[in-house]
Amino acid sequence: MPDTRIDLPQGTLDLLILRTLALEPQHGWAISERIHQVSSKTLFVQQGSLYPALHRLERKGWIKARWGASENNRRAKFYGLTRLGRKQLEREESAWRKLAAAVAQILETT
Amino acid sequence: MLSDLLLRLRSLFRRKNVEAELDDELRFHFEKQVSKFIQSGLAPEEAKRRARLEFGGMEQLKEEHRDARGVTFIETLVQDLRYAVRQLLKSQGFTAAAVLTLALGIAVNATMFSLVSAFLLGRPPGRQPERVAVVTSVNPVPGFHPDTNPVSAPNYFAWRDANHVFADVAAADEYRTVNLTSQGHFPEERQPEALGSAAVSPNYFSVLGVSPQLGRTFSDGEDQPGRDHVVILSNELWDRHFGSDASLIGRTIRLNRENYTVIGVMPASFRLMGFTRQLWTPLALTAADQTAAARKDRSLYLFARLKPGVALEQARAEMVTLARRAGETFPETEKGWGAAVRTLPDFLVYDFSIRNGIAVLMTTVGFVLMIACANVAGLLLARASGRRKELAIRIALGAGRLRIISQLLTEGLLIAFFGGTLGLLLAYWGINFVRAKLTFNEAISAVPLSLDWNVLLFALGVSLLCAVLCGLAPALNASRTDVNMNLKDESRAVSPSRSLGRLRTVLVTGEIALALFLLVGTGLLFRGIFLIEHQNLGFRPDHLLTAGVTLDKARYRDASQQALFVRDVIPRLQEIRGVEAVAVASDLPATGPATVTLQIKDQPELPANQRLRALDVLVSIDYSRAAGIPLLRGRTFTETDNATAPRVVVVNQEFVHRHLQDQDPLGKQIRLDVSGSTPEWSEIVGVVANVKTHSEGTSDDPEVYEPFLQRPVPSFSLMVQASSDPNSLASALRKAIAQMDAELPLARVMSMPDVIERQKAGNPFFVTVLGSFALLALILSAIGTYGLIAYSVGQRTHEIGIRMALGARSPDVVLMVLWEGMKMTAIGAAVGLALALPLPRIFDAMFYGLHLREPWLYFILPAAILVVAMLATYIPARRAMRVDPMVALRYE
Repeated sequence: MPDTRIDLPQGTLDLLILRTLALEPQHGWAISERIHQVSSKTLFVQQGSLYPALHRLERKGWIKARWGASENNRRAKFYGLTRLGRKQLEREESAWRKLAAAVAQILETT
Repeated sequence: MLSDLLLRLRSLFRRKNVEAELDDELRFHFEKQVSKFIQSGLAPEEAKRRARLEFGGMEQLKEEHRDARGVTFIETLVQDLRYAVRQLLKSQGFTAAAVLTLALGIAVNATMFSLVSAFLLGRPPGRQPERVAVVTSVNPVPGFHPDTNPVSAPNYFAWRDANHVFADVAAADEYRTVNLTSQGHFPEERQPEALGSAAVSPNYFSVLGVSPQLGRTFSDGEDQPGRDHVVILSNELWDRHFGSDASLIGRTIRLNRENYTVIGVMPASFRLMGFTRQLWTPLALTAADQTAAARKDRSLYLFARLKPGVALEQARAEMVTLARRAGETFPETEKGWGAAVRTLPDFLVYDFSIRNGIAVLMTTVGFVLMIACANVAGLLLARASGRRKELAIRIALGAGRLRIISQLLTEGLLIAFFGGTLGLLLAYWGINFVRAKLTFNEAISAVPLSLDWNVLLFALGVSLLCAVLCGLAPALNASRTDVNMNLKDESRAVSPSRSLGRLRTVLVTGEIALALFLLVGTGLLFRGIFLIEHQNLGFRPDHLLTAGVTLDKARYRDASQQALFVRDVIPRLQEIRGVEAVAVASDLPATGPATVTLQIKDQPELPANQRLRALDVLVSIDYSRAAGIPLLRGRTFTETDNATAPRVVVVNQEFVHRHLQDQDPLGKQIRLDVSGSTPEWSEIVGVVANVKTHSEGTSDDPEVYEPFLQRPVPSFSLMVQASSDPNSLASALRKAIAQMDAELPLARVMSMPDVIERQKAGNPFFVTVLGSFALLALILSAIGTYGLIAYSVGQRTHEIGIRMALGARSPDVVLMVLWEGMKMTAIGAAVGLALALPLPRIFDAMFYGLHLREPWLYFILPAAILVVAMLATYIPARRAMRVDPMVALRYE
């Protein structure tokens, strides 16, 4: 199963997590799976970065953790977006779009 | 952010829970991953393997996670503390030595700091005492504290009315003596008592911002004659003499044979160090106090409250200007005199002149503490080098430099904490001990010494400082550990590293230098006290009984009546059995009499600040016989030297030497600038031997004796020479005085040796305390030197074994070790000596009347310290000598 994985640029992991959680609360494994799937298996989040990131976001108050039952009724920790988190997501999204557009523009003109 | 804080706290206090949750979460993830791999067609075993590979190190992941939780600092600290406790428990001998050393150092510091807290940090009572200024006169003639002279009444009026900086100015004549007569039922209860009182302007208490405990303070107009017979008592007097009777307010008591109405009692907290009085009466200033003649009578201390917004500097500038103006207007009496302004707290401490003594004590204990810290640092250092391998392993396993430093610092912190706790316990005992010893005069014993918050905070600060001082050097040193070197080498072969050796040298030399410095310092002071104790005072104090008399104005209105009393009292006392001679003197010998300026006939008149000066004592006929002062030339006073006869004086040898350049003094005329009388020429009729100015100093100063009958004063001392124990005459003396005047109290009835003992004011105690600290420093540094050398010998057992196997003989080895120790000691001693060289000058400047030049101390003490260091080195050296090469080389 050959993946064409690329490394995440610095700071984008938070944005991806927030974006993934914008739809519905998810547990850690689902977050990493979803990022993997949606990015057509290009992006892969290491557990070593995922969990520290989740806890960092939780400390910042952007996401909230809650224990719940997973799809096969196992106890799992679900993360959901807070109101603050939603605002942060908007900010980071627009910032990212601007950055991406600018980078694209430079790449095309030169 | 709140959620942040809550999460952090949760991580900290519910650590187990949080850890378990993390475990659960990660395991869940892992299992999901495994099941995903299985679904994609892998065998279960292979799926687990793949998942584990992807996961990386589980522990590492958790660690990163913990960092993200943000409590690592505290967790690390807790970990370090646990580890440190384990380490310290493992080597109990080391721990006990280190803790005890620091405890001693901290205890002496905390004990001495209680003096600082009580004397220097204590706030005087009253509202905003730092806004109260004390104005004093500055004497143009140099002497002890020339800037704390009282102010004359005319200057008080002028400055009070002319200044723009003070809201109100009060004046106080602080050193009056009043005679209190009790109204007891029995005659023995009716004994009159002499009390220290102050006459104060009615606004005195309101300027200081203090209120009475009972009754009221003075009101305006009570300083007018006729209304001024009101009195305020101190709590102490009210309690001791009147049994804390609240109904005393409004009743009358008898002071100086007159009735005074008690209007108030001040609280016990109203204490102003040297200005703590037993009662206060209104200061009645009359027209006579406004005359030019009154300018010579400087007896008032001015207490002034600064106007809001006025800085002390402004007030000082204004007072200096006013003093200069007075000098220009009244050059005859005011020329050269200035004004000094201090805040009340500052003034009280300055006037009490305890600051220098405390500074010396604090420096000493500070050095003791540094030596103690050096010892503990040495111990830690030795241990750290023994733990090099352990540290190397920890570094190899990924411990950071900072982590190692913080670990070692934590150990230092723990030792300092235990040392501080034990030190405070010792200090509690030490403070009680010092308080029990500080009773040599009323002012000192009135200051409460206790283990208060200041002392506690100080001890805490000192302990922290110790922790850093002890822990830092070893920690930095250890963290430089070279992993490769230490893991490779077989733990024994090498001698201690270079930097370790250097640090050890610094510690030993530093300890020796400090110890020598302290020894020289206390040696000088010891010698000074010894010289004073054993000096010839110039008179015979034994067999003398003394008592103070203050004749009140009510019965002894003027000079002739005062003279009459003296003429009457001497024969009466001579009748007492066992009395050899009786005399009256304005000042007892060697008790620091007042200084006057003078003029010698046919010599040019000198400017105010260069005029000749001499001590001035008024004495009765038999004075030199009673005191045993030898007459060298001419005669002493006789009955005929009375008020109507030509004025005569007797001078001492020093006067002839310094003021008359050893010319024949007999027949020469001198004129004394005495306040309150018209200056007259007096003839020198005799020369007596020198008497020390102060029994607690070594100086001989020019001195003039005037016949009491030619210039009587109301306050003087009686001197009775007894054929046996002087104290046995005390009751006979009291009875004889009571027969003459039942309402006249005798103050300070005590033998002359007791007077001298009191004057020492705790100097011997002070020096003994210093001496024990210096000894402690010496012992500590000897132990430190021994410890470090012994350790280095232990480290070098292998090397010594090799040397001996290669043919070195035992004496060579001993010499080698001794040489190492002596080198360090010699450097330390040289540094200490260099530091101690300016000490005699510094002490001269700090302690009035002490002149110390003791060059031999500078040879003996370094020699002594070399011997002690030699012994401390010799013991380990002998051990080195006995090293068996075979054992040393085989020893792993």
